[in-house]
Amino acid sequence: MISFSNTVKRYPNGFEALRGVSLSIEKGEIVALTGHSGAGKSTLLRLAAGIELASQGSVLVNNQNVSQLKEAGLAVMRRSLGLVFQDHKLLFDRNVFENVALPLSIAAFSHIETGKRVRAALDKVGLLNREKADPITLSGGEQQRLCIARAIVNRPATLIADEPTGNLDPEYAETIIDLFKSFNQVGVTVLLATHDEIGLARLSCRRITLDHGKLAA
Amino acid sequence: MKGWLIAHGHACKRALRRLALQPTVTLLSVLVIGIAITLPLGLYVAFANVSAAASRIKTEPNVNVYLALIVTEQETKELERKLKSLSNVDRVTFVSRETALAEMKRVASMGDLLASLETNPLPHAFSIRPKASDPATLEILRAEIAILPKVENIAMDFEWAQKLNRFSTFAERIVLLLGLLLAAAVVFVTGNTIRLQILTQKDEIEVSQLIGATRRFIRRPFLYFGATQGLLAGLVAVLAVMIFIWWAGAEVHALTVSYGSDFSLQAPTLQQSLVVILLSGLLGWLGAFLSVWMYLRRVSIR
Repeated sequence: MISFSNTVKRYPNGFEALRGVSLSIEKGEIVALTGHSGAGKSTLLRLAAGIELASQGSVLVNNQNVSQLKEAGLAVMRRSLGLVFQDHKLLFDRNVFENVALPLSIAAFSHIETGKRVRAALDKVGLLNREKADPITLSGGEQQRLCIARAIVNRPATLIADEPTGNLDPEYAETIIDLFKSFNQVGVTVLLATHDEIGLARLSCRRITLDHGKLAA
Repeated sequence: MKGWLIAHGHACKRALRRLALQPTVTLLSVLVIGIAITLPLGLYVAFANVSAAASRIKTEPNVNVYLALIVTEQETKELERKLKSLSNVDRVTFVSRETALAEMKRVASMGDLLASLETNPLPHAFSIRPKASDPATLEILRAEIAILPKVENIAMDFEWAQKLNRFSTFAERIVLLLGLLLAAAVVFVTGNTIRLQILTQKDEIEVSQLIGATRRFIRRPFLYFGATQGLLAGLVAVLAVMIFIWWAGAEVHALTVSYGSDFSLQAPTLQQSLVVILLSGLLGWLGAFLSVWMYLRRVSIR
């Protein structure tokens, strides 16, 4: 599903965020990516999502080499993924419903189908009664769930989440972790970066630990 | 195909909503672009009208040779023979002083004046059609004719008409140049309004790209935006010119009638108007395309 082989990511300022990482995540797996802050977790996720390109080595997603995809190919690949961002990346000039509808508009879904799917996604994260609300009026946990709703509305085969429980109260974090587990139970591959020990314990899944841009022994 | 239609429908709707969200900004941009298009269109229409008027004037080269008032028939015959023998002369027509007077009397405003004269003040004349009409050759012809006996005066009064013709070619080029410059201005003005649009929608563009929007998807609403703005501006320009012609046309017509002409200002035809509006839409589209292209090139990882 996702595999890195000897992947190096070097930024223009010379900093090496990933220094030769090889790993593989199988279809239907749920994997937690851990490590200290600055270990390269976010970079690894960004490479897996085709938001950044590897400097050396390769990143394969759905058996496609991300580095070799053209602009349109990259866009189509990203649509097969659901991305949950640390900073949510919600659009505050539109309501909850319209935020979740954005991926469907990109994939040119019809009006009726969009309505059905958006409500199904909002129902899953428990925000169905807030569809008309402005995202700015939502709490941190609700914003995170809104971001998750947007990630799953297109029914992706893979979910990639960067610190989804980052700044949340423990009980909020638990519901988020449970959400990801429930997606995995219906066959979605989940790759989740976190340094939250309670969350990790609750996930009880395979761990990949990064240390200064390399896999920890 | 269905997806394509839905995508374009979405993009068009979003573009129109953005235009409607800022009515003042939209109106101002449309007016600025409209004025930029009105200038070359107005000039084009003006020169088209001048050319139409100029084309009614005979511009065929014609040399009129006026004889002395007192000549014998023998001398006239002799002169005609000599004129015909000149190398640059194609055809010679004799215009007797009686014919000239009769012709002049037919011009309404001259009738009264001529009636008050006791004798015919006009001389015999020859109307010559030269073979070559370039200024140098004509100057030689004039010199050749001038030395012939009994020739009083030589008029080559088509010269100004030729100059007018040449002037309208020059004017056409001015209009073309101005048109090109202002077309570029339209592209830049649209490009700039689109750039401001892009800045207010930076987040949306970023998020859309992150979750799988192609450049084409990002670009589409902006293209509709630019094209719509251009079409509206083209419409403004056409209306402005129409209004001017309607406003000034009556005056021009009254003025030319007093000079014995039925000339009146011609508005651009429906076809010309449509071409201008579509062209303006196309320029708006181009401005939007360039603006989005430059932005996306800067933010893309590819």
